Amino acid sequence: MVGYTALLPEGLLIATAVIVLLAGLFIKQKKILGYITLVGLLASLGLVIKGWNLTATFEGAPFYGAIVVDPFSQIFNAIFLTVGVLVCISALKAYGDNQRQDDFYSMMLLATVGMMVVAMSKDLLTLFIGFELASISTYAMAGFDKRDPKSIEAALKYFLIGGLSSSLMVFGMAYIYGLTGSTNIDTIASVFGANPALVTTPAILLAMVMLIAGFGFKMAFVPFHMWAPDTYEGAPSIVSALLAAGSKKMGFAAAFRIFIVGLIAMKLDWYIAFMILAILTMTVGNILAVVQTSVKRMLAYSSIAHAGYIAVVFVVVAYYPHAPALAVNHAVTGGLMHAFSHAIGKAAAFIAVGAIAYMIMSRDKVDDPNHISNYDGLGKRAPMTAFLFALLLCSLAGIPPLFGFTSKFVLFLSTIEAGLLGLAIICVLNSALSVYYYAKVVMRMYWGEPKGEAFVEPSTYVFVLAIAVIALIALFFAPGDLVYQWAETAAHTVTGV
Amino acid sequence: MGMITILMLVLLAGAILSLLTKTTAQARGVALVSSFGALAIAILMYLMYDANFSTVTHYAFEESGTWMPSIGIGYHVGVDGISLPMVILATIVCAFCTIFSWTESKRPNQFFALLLLMDLTLIGVFVSLDFFMFYVFWELTLLPMFFLIGIWGGPRKDYSAIKFLIYTHIASVLMMLGIFALYYFNGIATGTYTFDIPILLEAYRTGALGQFGQFWLDFIFVTIMFGFMVKMPSVPFHTWLPDAHVEAPTIGSIILAGVLLKMGGYGLFRVLLPMMGVASTWFIYLIALFGIMSILYSPFAALAQKDLKKLVAFSSIGHMGFISLGVAASALAGMDPARIVAHTGAMFQMFSHGIITCVLFGCCGVIEHHTHTRIIDDLGGLTKKMPKLAILMVAAFFASLGLPLCSGFVAEFGILSGSYGTMPIFVMLAAISIPFTAGYHLWAVQRTMFGPYNEYLGDIKEIKWFEFLPLAVWVIIFVILGIYPAPIIDMMHTTADYFITSGNVLPIGGIHVPPGGAFPW
Repeated sequence: MVGYTALLPEGLLIATAVIVLLAGLFIKQKKILGYITLVGLLASLGLVIKGWNLTATFEGAPFYGAIVVDPFSQIFNAIFLTVGVLVCISALKAYGDNQRQDDFYSMMLLATVGMMVVAMSKDLLTLFIGFELASISTYAMAGFDKRDPKSIEAALKYFLIGGLSSSLMVFGMAYIYGLTGSTNIDTIASVFGANPALVTTPAILLAMVMLIAGFGFKMAFVPFHMWAPDTYEGAPSIVSALLAAGSKKMGFAAAFRIFIVGLIAMKLDWYIAFMILAILTMTVGNILAVVQTSVKRMLAYSSIAHAGYIAVVFVVVAYYPHAPALAVNHAVTGGLMHAFSHAIGKAAAFIAVGAIAYMIMSRDKVDDPNHISNYDGLGKRAPMTAFLFALLLCSLAGIPPLFGFTSKFVLFLSTIEAGLLGLAIICVLNSALSVYYYAKVVMRMYWGEPKGEAFVEPSTYVFVLAIAVIALIALFFAPGDLVYQWAETAAHTVTGV
Repeated sequence: MGMITILMLVLLAGAILSLLTKTTAQARGVALVSSFGALAIAILMYLMYDANFSTVTHYAFEESGTWMPSIGIGYHVGVDGISLPMVILATIVCAFCTIFSWTESKRPNQFFALLLLMDLTLIGVFVSLDFFMFYVFWELTLLPMFFLIGIWGGPRKDYSAIKFLIYTHIASVLMMLGIFALYYFNGIATGTYTFDIPILLEAYRTGALGQFGQFWLDFIFVTIMFGFMVKMPSVPFHTWLPDAHVEAPTIGSIILAGVLLKMGGYGLFRVLLPMMGVASTWFIYLIALFGIMSILYSPFAALAQKDLKKLVAFSSIGHMGFISLGVAASALAGMDPARIVAHTGAMFQMFSHGIITCVLFGCCGVIEHHTHTRIIDDLGGLTKKMPKLAILMVAAFFASLGLPLCSGFVAEFGILSGSYGTMPIFVMLAAISIPFTAGYHLWAVQRTMFGPYNEYLGDIKEIKWFEFLPLAVWVIIFVILGIYPAPIIDMMHTTADYFITSGNVLPIGGIHVPPGGAFPW
């Protein structure tokens, strides 16, 4: 019975979701539900941060060890909740007078709970349930602007691909279960550790490929990325923020749990496969981002590129024991930090794009408010938004003094420590290439000719962006490596080396 | 809180305050207070240098604190004879730049904020004694310059700004890999993982990393060298520089050539020179070769230029080449006095060129501002209309070609005579450039300042006081240092002496490193 309080954050969110859903039936003034959601998320985030190094296992009924609370789950929970807070505040503005906003809030809360369950799961079945809870909620959210054909298209694509990825995942899990007789990740790892012969069977190959493909769709690895740009572009901006920053990180949470434990236990020499995947993902993402004319689509591709950077974690881990334990821990630490910085930066960047589109649509008559030509002179027309957006892009590009730099620094450091020189060079060159397309947006904003009068900047959006930027700057300067220690402790929990 | 932190905070506060102002006068007022405050602090540091100098660490005004202890990142700043002159240079240049841009009316608040930010980041590079901080400031210098070129630049500013950003950024990220490797190997060899510059250099210099083999030692050296060579810039990595200069506003060019390029030279002294005894010998010749290529290439490129500013830009490349040559020569084994002279001369060249080039670019800016052209063929006989400018410009061009009684002569004489001790052939090659350098300078002055006045230019006004004052101050500085260089050069000489005679810069082959060697896993 020890430590059920450790599950309080999730319980709180589920309670809030139920309250919001029920209250939505009776309350006319639905905006208040947004504030209730926000309070729930903030309380939950507070609890997670307070118990950052909490470890609690639940061996007996009703969980039978299927979930665990440890620094690893807590850091991912913090990521999901931070994204949730940013999205929730923006939704107060974006859907402030929408009659169905109660659905939005409850779906968002359930999606967040689903993601948190994934991060906490120690069992393939729990993991799958969390995955589906988050996915199904976000399918509906992607199509929330149901009169916008692009939003419908986005939702449909996301749903079809999501269904495919789930089925691949279950397929892979079924094989693993068949081979080991267990769905518990630790048991699976120990079975593999005890029977090295098992690792070389073709069935394990099939299972691994299926799992990589299944998670790969969620994490938008190339070549499983095709859905991501269309979905991120078509979905409402704040939902894109949730998808790119939250839902995608859920894929990483699951993959970290399974692959890192699996790879270290199985000692599979799979680093070449992961290296190709990582290099392909970051390079394709970056090159396609360069040629985009829609800022929102550019952010979608940049999100793919960032998935490629985080995939470096798997390469270094798969390289163990050639790579020293230090490199493995630095890689996972850097990956977690990068997941954090990218989640804040990308969520806020999508929200900024939404805010800018909102301002442009309110004043100019344009077909596509996300087209880069609409960003001309934004530094004059919407000074606050443009300034904050530019800083967010700097964080994504890995330019100091923002947290995006620190996380990339630690992540790339691990590649050198692992002795993967070629990978390191490709990573940093990719990072340099990415500066190009971020800079292009900044150039449009600051030295393009303004196309019209100044905008009235919606204060809610500016507030959200300011929170994100302040968080990124504070995390960069924070002495005593705040997030680093958290991420490092979390890394030790999963790698165990 | 030490002097250096206060210096940086003064500039940071100035940048933030000036961003919040509304008018030119307010922004300028804030910028003047902040930048001259920084200059005053720098001069104070100069005066108190000896009293605060630690004979243990060989740094003055050292401050250290923890930042991210888990991976060994700390706040560590300090100055010595290499960095203090650079800090003084940065503050002098930036302070008088605020006067030079007295009437800036396009987005004045952002302009002055960026100017102060530029000053801050440059000083940050020069005072950092932690590689993480060093790299952060190194990257941060890109941003203000990117915006200065982009917002206030000329017609092809988009291309130039992005080329500047990407080209130098690629160089810095590769440098980052070298820093990573240095950090990691030191961690394995000594057990402490730290980004502290003196500790890492000490480990490299003493051969403590020799167990990892020559390949990795050279990898560290060559990546860091590439970062510096692009920034200097050295031929063949110079192509971003003329573009950036041509499109940059006058202030941007002054800071770019005057201080920003010196980051590369500073890196050679601070980071590479102590490593040279352990890295492969041919890298030293490579650095010298880059220097020679720059020295020989720049006069011919400059002779062909039609744009006065581009001509001056190419002259910078040549002058920076002398620094590479001096550094390389001082690293080779040979007569120690000669090495010290080469080392001191190269350091002095950084300061001297920093001041002289400010006047050169300032004059180009004044000419462009008053005549609306920089094309040399369209100018002519400007002495008749702008005699005050003519005095400054002739002085600067003569200083730039290396006339005695100007600081450039002292520096280049030191480099050439000192380098003769260890690299006579390179010195002879460098000497070939001297007549051509004199030639393009004289020819440019003759075509723009003298000869018949080009009536096509119409009635042009004399140089304004706020343009005259900074240029005159800079001229006075380089003339005084040309006659009596001791105030700056003594400090440099002491450092050079310490570096070379105490074995801090080991001669080649001082440490035996096994070839090949495996990566430590």
